[in-house]
Order: sequence, then C-alpha cells, then structure tokens
Amino acid sequence: MINVQNLTKSFTTHVKEPGLKGSLKSLIKRDKKTKFALNGVNLQIKQGEIVGLIGANGAGKTTLIKILAGIVHPTSGEATVLGYKPWQRDNRYRKQMSLIMGQKAQVWWDLPALDSFILLKEIYQIDNFTYKKNLEFLSDTLMIKDQLKIQVRRLSLGERMKVELMAALLHNPRVIFLDEPTIGLDISAQKAVREFMKNYQVEFKPITILTSHYMADIQELCPRIVIIKEGQFVYDGSLSKVQRMLGDNKVLSVTTEKEIFQLEVPRTELSIKTKEIFENHNVLDLNIQDPSIENIIESIMRNGLGPP
Amino acid sequence: MKRYIRLYFHFLRFSFSKAMEFRLDFSFRIIMDIIYYTVNILFFKVIYLHTPMLAGWNENQMMIFVSGYLLVDAINMTIFSTNMWWLPYYINKGELDYYLIRPVSPLFFLSLKEFSANSFLNLMMAIGFFTYSLNQYTGPFDTLDIFLYVLFLLNGSMIYFCTQMLMILPVFWTHSARGFVDLFYSLGLAMERPDRIYKGWLRVLFTFILPFAVIASFPARFFLEPFDWKLFVHTAVVTVFIWSLMLFVWKKGLQNYSSASS
Repeated sequence: MINVQNLTKSFTTHVKEPGLKGSLKSLIKRDKKTKFALNGVNLQIKQGEIVGLIGANGAGKTTLIKILAGIVHPTSGEATVLGYKPWQRDNRYRKQMSLIMGQKAQVWWDLPALDSFILLKEIYQIDNFTYKKNLEFLSDTLMIKDQLKIQVRRLSLGERMKVELMAALLHNPRVIFLDEPTIGLDISAQKAVREFMKNYQVEFKPITILTSHYMADIQELCPRIVIIKEGQFVYDGSLSKVQRMLGDNKVLSVTTEKEIFQLEVPRTELSIKTKEIFENHNVLDLNIQDPSIENIIESIMRNGLGPP
Repeated sequence: MKRYIRLYFHFLRFSFSKAMEFRLDFSFRIIMDIIYYTVNILFFKVIYLHTPMLAGWNENQMMIFVSGYLLVDAINMTIFSTNMWWLPYYINKGELDYYLIRPVSPLFFLSLKEFSANSFLNLMMAIGFFTYSLNQYTGPFDTLDIFLYVLFLLNGSMIYFCTQMLMILPVFWTHSARGFVDLFYSLGLAMERPDRIYKGWLRVLFTFILPFAVIASFPARFFLEPFDWKLFVHTAVVTVFIWSLMLFVWKKGLQNYSSASS
C-alpha cells in the first residue's frame, strides 16, 4: 500500500546570468528562486497494482520515485509505503523495496554479475534456498544464464539491463520502482524486459511504479496511469478511459498520387470527410485508425484534460 | 555485527580480485611507498644530527612515534583512502542513490567498500617498521604497553577518518568538487609532528578543533611516558566528540542530498 498526501518537494536555486560578469554578480547578490519539483501531489496505490507515471523530462517523476524510495527528503507532506515513512530508511522497509534506474547501474562494473549477487544476498540476508530458487527462476525467464559469469562491463546494454533486473528482484521485493527501465534498449530487448515485467507482476503481485518515455511500455504494462506536469498530477485513472475520453476522433491516413497526409476528424463526420477526400483526390490508400496513445498523452500534457 | 564482518570480507575479496588485474599500478605503489617512508624517517634522522632532544624525545623514542603515525597513515591508505576519494564525486553526481536504498548502513558501505588491495603491501611495510622500532627501543615496556599503543593508534585512525569526513561532507551543501579535502591534506601534516611543538592557539587548533596531534602523538606519549590521566580524558573527549559530530553532519547532509537527476 502506498499512500501519498499533499507531497511537496522544492529546491532553491539561484539564477546566474551567463558569462564572467554574471558570475561576479552572483558572488555578491544572488537571485534565489524556488522551484517545485513536486507540488502537493496525492496518490494511493494498492498491493499488486502497477501504475505508469508519465510526464516530460523534469516534470517530477524521478523526484517522486526518489522520495518513495527514501533517497530524498520531501519539503512537506506525508507519504507511507507499506506503513513506513520511506525517508526514515527503516531497514524493514528497505528489505522489501527495490529501485531500478535505467540510467544508473547498481551491479559492480568490474565484476561478473554473480559476484554482485552474492553481495546482495548478504546485504538482504537472503537464505540459501530462496537465493538459489530466485537465481534459477530469474536467469531462466530472462534467458541470461551464460552471461552471469562475465564481467558486467563486457555485456551488451540489453544484457546489462537484465542483470540489473535480476539484482533488483533477488530479494522478492513487495514494492518496485522502475525508472525508465527500457531507456536506450533496442526493440527486442525492450520487448523482453516488458514481457518479463508483465509476467512478474502477474506472478508475484508487487506494487510497481513505472516511468517510461516509451508508450509501448505503458500500454503493455499499466492499466492505470498518472500524468504529471510541472510537479502536479493532471490525470490519475485508467489508461482506457483516457483513450475513450479523447478517442472520439479518428485519424485518417491518406496516400494520394501526390502526397501523404493525416487528418483527425470527429467520429460523426467520418463518412462525410471520407467522401470529400475521395472526390477531391486521386486516392491510392486510405486508413482509418484510433489516435495513438502518444498523441493523446501529448495533447493532455499540452492542453490539460479539458472539459470531461 | 557478524553480518557486517561478512560483508567486509566480500569487499576484501572483490578488491583483491580487481587489483590483480592492474600489476603495473601495483609495483608503482610499492616504489612510492618506499620513498615516502624513507623521507619520513630521514627527516627526523637529520634533525637529530643537530640536537639530541626534540619535544622531549630522543631519536630512539622519536622512531616509536614515527612508526606509529606511519601505521595510522597506512591504515588510512588501505582502508579508507579510495572510498574518501570517491565520496565527493558520489555526492555531487547523485551516485549515493543505490547505497541509500540498501538495508545496510550507507556510512559503512561508502567508507569501507573499496579496500585498496594495492596499498596492502604498504600496510605490511608499516607493520614491519613498527615492529622494528619496538625491537630497537631501549626503554622499558611490556606486551600490555604494545597492545595499548596499538589500540590508541587504531583510535587515532578513527579520529583521522572522522576529521577527513568532516572536510568532505560540506560537499552536500557546497557542491564543490572536493570540499575542504585539500585543506585536510595540507594540515594533515600536523599529525606527523610531536604534539609538544604546538604552543598557544596552534595547540588548541591541533588538539581540539582539528585534532591531528591526538591521532598519533598522544598514543606515543602513552607508550613512552608514565600514564597521564589528563591525556587520557583529552583523547576520550576528542574521540567521542568528533565521532558524534561526524555522524550528525552526515545525517544532516543526507537530509540535504538532492540526488542529481539522471
């Protein structure tokens, strides 16, 4: 159970004009500026639920995850995860939690993954039986058995991410934070990670928060999404509802002899519009689709939800 | 506690297997260390060419002190130095994240995980010289004295560690590259001189504020001279104070840790 109440995190920065002159000026007088990474957010997540956190760079996704993982202290507001205040860093909490950051490695670079795992076994006090069982299960499902004895820095990015996932899941966490786990991976590696997380979620039912810029991840894994913009939540609800809410439009992709273009039209005007197109152009191909999730999310992030 | 010892053995294992890969570095270190030791010993040998007594000690006694601070230095080089080198970078670059989420004291983790297997021979040489000096020492002493001397020197290493941490931890607020570590290294030389040469405000500075004189000189006095209660209380107060202060600043620093975003 995650319960977040009115959580706020602000940073004070000072503004510096460019150049040496600006630097000298900032030595004497500094214009302080408070920036809100999170501005009074509320969130409830039940055990077994997986939530996709979506937002532009700097919207506050990572800050929220870092507060919930106990790395950063909030400025104000409350949050409990499994009944613990994360930033108090209770060992009982930290033993049940896992964080995976696509851009920061947790396994030792110069050592084979198995060495790192042994250290993690010690850190999390995993008993031999569970350790062996989990190692077996994870390396089988991720199909990475042979690479575990090779120094991590010699692995490909995709293999490294799999190793990171293993490292994060050895201790059977009940809460998992996945911060852009698929970043930089090629399509097939992305797919493998996604498939794995999907099955893992079904089988072990942890609380999971996932951030990703790849909509495929979100679509595949998260029935519920939270959209965050400038430190505030602009949407918290089911993914399909967003689709329905803004899904009254259809997208027409038209290929004529001269050009290719896309047109977004309300469902009700569909037949009139298509007729028009056929009358005015020499159509080679015409496609009618739902707008993509990317388009919808982008429009929400730009314009808000608008009238319901 | 047992778990922490087991963890430390893992750190040792990793460090040695890593060090094996870089043999050139290994031999360089040995040469550097031999030069460092020779310079330190010669420095005092030269002084004693001109005077029979310095700060109340003759050459024979001084070598006990020299071997003491070389031991503290070697302990620091092998156990803490690599970790201390990286710590400010970790703080600035937001690399503390993975240490903060583990159910293990992050302070333990961050200050001990990189054992400098390369400097291990340095430690061996320091122990060798320490034994040699004791062997050469003409004054009276028994096993208990040696035991206590080593104990006080270990305590001195802890003070050294805390002082160094206190110079690094401001990085949490300043985000400068190295904190005041350079200041620490230049003032750290104060450890390598007998404390009696410090008078007046310098004495206050080096026995209380930056207690370098307490690190190795006080222990040597316990060994060389009759037991002095005042010195003992002084050592205990400084130890407890600097350790608590370091923990306090560490905690405050973590609260201020902003974890530069990826």
